[in-house]
Amino acid sequence: CSDFLDKEPVVIASDVNFYKTPEDAYKALVGAYDGLQGVWANGMALPIATEVMSDNTFGGTGNADGFGYQMIDEFDKSRSTADQNIFQANWIAYYAALYRCNVLIGKMDQIEWGTKEELRPIYEAETRFLRAYMYFDMVRLWGNIPLLTAPSRDNIPQADPDAVYAVIAEDLTYAAANLPATTYASQPVSQRGRVTKWAAEALLARAYLYYTGYYGKTELAGITKAQALAYVEDVIANSGHDLVDDFFKLWPAASIEEYAGEDNKETIFAVKYTYTSDYNGNTDGNHWMVMYGMRDQFSFPYGNGWGGATVNPKLWNAYDANDTRRGASIISISAEDIDYEHEAKQREYTGYYNKKYAPMVDEEGNSVAVENGAVNFMIGQFQDYVSIRYADVLLMAAELGSANAQAYFDKVRQRAFKTNFVQVAVSQENILKERQLEFALEGIRYWDLLRQGVPTAAAIIAETTTVKNGGIATTKTITASKIELTKGLQQIPTNQINLSSNVLKQNAGW
Amino acid sequence: QQVITGTIRDVTGASMPGVNVLIKGTASGTSTDVEGKFSVQAQPDDVLVISFIGYQTREITVGQQTTIDVSLEEDLTTLGEVVVVGYGTQKKVLNTGANLQVKGEDISKLSTTNALQALQGQTPGVQISSLSGQPGSGMRVVIRGMGTNNGSGPLYVVDGVLTGDINYLNPNDIESITVLKDAASAAIYGSQSANGVILVTTKGASKGKSHITFDSFIGVQNVARKVDMLDAQEYATIMNEAAVNSNKLPYFTNDEIAALGKGTDWMDEMFVDNASTQNYSLSASGNSENSWYSTSIGYTLQEGVVGGRSLSNYERYNFRINSEHKLYKDIVKVGQNLTLSYVKNKGVGVGNQYNNSLRGAFNTSPFVPMYDAEGNYFDNSNSEWNNGEANPYATMVYGNQNNNLSQKVLGNLFAEISPLKSVKFRSTLGLEYNTHESNSFTPEYKLSIYTFNDVSRASQSMGRYTSLQWDNLLTYGFDVKEHHFDVMAGSSAIQIRALGLSATNASLIFNNLEQAWISTAMNRDGTRITPLTGGPDDDVLENRLSFFGRLNYNLGETYLFNATFRADGSSKFASNQRWGYFPSVSAGWVISNEDFLAATSAWMNSLKIRASWGQVGNQRVRSFQYIAPIQFSNVNYSFGDKEGTLTGGGYPNRLPNPALGWETSEQTNIGFDAKFLSGKLNVNFDWYMKKTKDLIIAAPILATAGADEPFINGGDVTNKGIEVALAYTSSVGELNYTVSVNGAYNQNKVGVIPNADGIIHGQTNQLFDNSGEFYRMENGRPIGYFWGLKTDGLFQTEEEVNNYLSGEGKKIQPDAQPGDVRYVDRNNDGEINDQDRTLIGNPNPDLTYGFSISANYKGFDLSIQANGVAGNQIVQSYRNMANPLGNYTSAILDRWHGPGSSNKIPRVTEDNRNWTTFSDLYIHDGDFLRISNITLGYDLARVAPKGLLGQARLYASVLNAFTFTKYEGMDPEVGYGIDTRENGVLVDAMSQGVDLGFYPRTRTYLIGLNVKF
Repeated sequence: CSDFLDKEPVVIASDVNFYKTPEDAYKALVGAYDGLQGVWANGMALPIATEVMSDNTFGGTGNADGFGYQMIDEFDKSRSTADQNIFQANWIAYYAALYRCNVLIGKMDQIEWGTKEELRPIYEAETRFLRAYMYFDMVRLWGNIPLLTAPSRDNIPQADPDAVYAVIAEDLTYAAANLPATTYASQPVSQRGRVTKWAAEALLARAYLYYTGYYGKTELAGITKAQALAYVEDVIANSGHDLVDDFFKLWPAASIEEYAGEDNKETIFAVKYTYTSDYNGNTDGNHWMVMYGMRDQFSFPYGNGWGGATVNPKLWNAYDANDTRRGASIISISAEDIDYEHEAKQREYTGYYNKKYAPMVDEEGNSVAVENGAVNFMIGQFQDYVSIRYADVLLMAAELGSANAQAYFDKVRQRAFKTNFVQVAVSQENILKERQLEFALEGIRYWDLLRQGVPTAAAIIAETTTVKNGGIATTKTITASKIELTKGLQQIPTNQINLSSNVLKQNAGW
Repeated sequence: QQVITGTIRDVTGASMPGVNVLIKGTASGTSTDVEGKFSVQAQPDDVLVISFIGYQTREITVGQQTTIDVSLEEDLTTLGEVVVVGYGTQKKVLNTGANLQVKGEDISKLSTTNALQALQGQTPGVQISSLSGQPGSGMRVVIRGMGTNNGSGPLYVVDGVLTGDINYLNPNDIESITVLKDAASAAIYGSQSANGVILVTTKGASKGKSHITFDSFIGVQNVARKVDMLDAQEYATIMNEAAVNSNKLPYFTNDEIAALGKGTDWMDEMFVDNASTQNYSLSASGNSENSWYSTSIGYTLQEGVVGGRSLSNYERYNFRINSEHKLYKDIVKVGQNLTLSYVKNKGVGVGNQYNNSLRGAFNTSPFVPMYDAEGNYFDNSNSEWNNGEANPYATMVYGNQNNNLSQKVLGNLFAEISPLKSVKFRSTLGLEYNTHESNSFTPEYKLSIYTFNDVSRASQSMGRYTSLQWDNLLTYGFDVKEHHFDVMAGSSAIQIRALGLSATNASLIFNNLEQAWISTAMNRDGTRITPLTGGPDDDVLENRLSFFGRLNYNLGETYLFNATFRADGSSKFASNQRWGYFPSVSAGWVISNEDFLAATSAWMNSLKIRASWGQVGNQRVRSFQYIAPIQFSNVNYSFGDKEGTLTGGGYPNRLPNPALGWETSEQTNIGFDAKFLSGKLNVNFDWYMKKTKDLIIAAPILATAGADEPFINGGDVTNKGIEVALAYTSSVGELNYTVSVNGAYNQNKVGVIPNADGIIHGQTNQLFDNSGEFYRMENGRPIGYFWGLKTDGLFQTEEEVNNYLSGEGKKIQPDAQPGDVRYVDRNNDGEINDQDRTLIGNPNPDLTYGFSISANYKGFDLSIQANGVAGNQIVQSYRNMANPLGNYTSAILDRWHGPGSSNKIPRVTEDNRNWTTFSDLYIHDGDFLRISNITLGYDLARVAPKGLLGQARLYASVLNAFTFTKYEGMDPEVGYGIDTRENGVLVDAMSQGVDLGFYPRTRTYLIGLNVKF
């Protein structure tokens, strides 16, 4: 009788019989990458949210949409009091991805590596990099987050940010030490996108700069400025990465014929996307890029989208007219002579849109993503999110006090200005100014502001200006006091606070 | 002494074998042979008593007659004398549970294509509503209130075979349907019966020698009520007003508006007139001394009113053969019941807001033309007004090219051995075998900048489901003096397996549905061949083993006692949680048999008091929840430079819960059955309290746990209520009539939900794009209640906005303007947010009721059937509030447009600010009373030469004749709720009454014919 009831599933593997072989470990590693790929599939994507929070863009979106993007933009919850869970999908997705990392890290001993023992430190290093990468996003966005380095169902209170940064530093140090020093050129093309030693070193420097800046510390969990510099100098000296010769070639919409391609030599680390997302559970696509498209209108080569994060004219004006990065970064409706007819549907219209992450159409207006086989233009966008570029490594090295600081600084600016290059003396102030222009609309500016201290960031972001809501000129105000009140952090999802029985505490100002 | 011979027939003229013919006051007599003939010796002053179960007994004084031909009439008062119970039958008078039997002919005479629809209003405490009006669509059946979020449909048992629905059945094949409502009646089905049990018996042996019957009807269906949308002029006016209210200039001048005309009425475009419905059913039955058989074939066609036959259509072929044979005297019998159905259907979207074809008609402006100059569907991509809106009719046509076939075989083979008259052993092998196959086609098209398809696609899927069931039953009845005992012991083993395969590919050779198959797709790019899945479905895989027993006891048919016990073991659960035990007891007292009530016999003919208690279970959860599965599907990353190249991965996607066990429902029932006025008035009354405990719920867990929540046991729901049924049967001259009324009151309350916030949250994005949560399951509230802001009219003036202050003097809605909604700040913190949300509507009706009138006079018959609900609310969301340019229903003409103009419908704005937050503006009362059937018939056999025809009844019916309701949608009977299925298994089904553009039930006029030979 009892035999009759002892049935095993036929096609479901379980955690009891998985995590046995190196092949299982690789699948689980891919599962962790897939987790990272999904953290911005729903909710509010960090690459956009950070631009909205910074002085680069406004909230934008459709004129009949809710006011969540305005709430984020203005750090003012009264703008949309019902939006109490705007980042919840991301909160859940981050922890889901961390769970995959934590499970795999915990199973390393269980796997029978056999003759492939050398894979273990590599897989572990990649997994720990992914964990560090996500914790770094989270701790910057929310400040106070539960910290798990092993799976747990417990109701875990928020950790001291120092503890989170200690894990980030430890994971990245491990990754930098255990990943092979394979140069860009010798990495097989089919493996591009996997975490490298260089990515770990660059992210470590980024974490160092942010942590020491935002929290006013001198070291990151024992890592000194000199060590951080040594990591990026190693990237410069040994990685084989370099700048792509023209800035516009980095961005598909700015270089239709001459795009340098994904995983080009400048890409240190990217979150990779492709067009196979569907509504049956596949989330492989860049689901957030559609937010950047012009509201309801395409204009070759720029695709239509939801009109989110309209670019602040201040950013356009910050560029020198000779700076090739201006036209490669920003779509100017007037400068490109685009006949934009749908101001009525666009909120916070400024006349400028993001070009670096613009959805694209062909000359007939058909979505390039759909032509490649995507289900639709909303979830089918496939442009990778280039998180760390070699230019960033050069500028970080300069900022960390490299002996070659001026040369690194010049190298970035020479590419931007070409024959119009005029040397500017390297300095912290000039580097930060250059970083805004170089990395505009790439999700970096906001953190560069915050690491100068909340009051400085607040003063730069605060603004009273005029935008067009549904074609009507409307005053837009971002007040410094709101940014200072929230310390630049975002709201913890209210549902998660409720689920935790208030073990989780809301951030100030929310 | 003389020899009396004769023939006994029923009213249709068919001969009746086995009828008892006794000489009154003696034990001598005979019974009729297979031709209904008898021969008996009698004295002239003897009285012959001619009796047959279910027929009125006739007494005839012999006198000088030597030939006595008698026709027996069915006995309406003893109808249902024997009732179907779980694993058997029982004399009704001895039954101590709360159950209700509906005869097959009461179902088939309502001319519905779906047997459950015919049950509406006939059974108190059983709420039946359409999931949609699309032909072939299922029904939501809730017995005694929703007790779980985990799928509240009952268990169906057809001829002893456990199954999930009876949509496939030809209503003409049904002998009876019995609804087991209380736990004591249902507990014999243990873990399957927490939501009640519906027992269906298909037609068996006929009375009389042999019958051929032919039943058919043919009719036309139309939409009973359409929603009135704004025409082009009204729409332009409202758009102008919304622009002005949003500080913009109006879009149209008065002259432009005057020139607009009416524009396209999308409601008219979506519906067809006079959609056909047809049904033909031919059956034959007969019996001989050792065998009987009953067989039928049937065909049903119902066209949909939305889009018509090419888009929404249902065809069903049925075949049935039931027979029984005596192999050896009365000791060994074998037999089988077998029903086959073959269903071909097509359907339009009737699901959520993204999969609801009608919804486009509510949201598309009347400016969009139906056709362009060449007669093609209009491509709106170059519209200056709104290039994002698309012809909703064309969207429906292009998006719903599908053919679906399903086949079902359900039946059993049995052998019965009865070595002694009182001992019976029966072994039954049951089978349910379903297959489905479907293909769909998406052509290349372009209708707007968002509604287009660049590459043609074909999708194909196939699957099968098999459930094998082996039951063994031993029954023994014996008497000890006046004490009568019936005992039954049994076992049942069930094995369930399923398998599926589906794929989509692109670039088709042919451009039509009939040739759209995977093999005609030219694309060889792997990323477009998606989804491509196939294999056994572990989620439904189950082996189940059960042991059960029943004891019936009665003392002189006056003191009744009944106990059952069932043990169920299922492979779904971990070995330590595998078994569930489900006991029940019930008792009855037929007080009217007592001497001390003899005085009341003049007006009260019988009175039985019953009480029962039992525990039943629910295990509707996917299998293997106790393990942590590794998910491989949809887990990919795209390493390398080639787009679309995926590397597969895996991760444990769900936390395991080895402690998961059965959901238990405990129910107490007290009731009485009484007959008054010589049996003319029948009264049934029940009070019950049903508490479902240890709900199997996907309890929300903290995100930090990282994986999908495990299913756990926890939480409870209580349903309390009363049910009353009254029936009065009488006659005036040759006019016979029956009036029956029934009603049920139910109160639903969720007890404890075992997570920190005590809430199971509803889903977002359901009412319109980016809409928030609007229903939930929460401690102390009715299940699936509507959760939103309360409103307190509209601000009429600026002053009212400024004076709307919190206790601390803070302006509560500082941004509001006159004409905006005033939300109630329930916690008085000066802010309107989630903390101000509360119960603003209850989708569960307080009262469900029905009544029917039937009468016959000579050859005429008339019946009227009605059903209704009261006390429930409906959420109506027709308009996508994320879109400023969507059309409105004409209700918007009563909007606020100046102080005092309205206190109900807010001003129009382009940002729809008064509608983007869920509030009681969306809530509507769902009370209705529907006259669901009016039928008038006449039996032509009465005027035909005698003996030629048993019956030739011609009738005309109106289905869904009138609906009395204040609800201004198309149909108040909204069975649609936000049901979440994962791999076909319901995982969240707590909501109902959500009208997103509900495919309405049609009004049908039909004529029919019943012929019996």
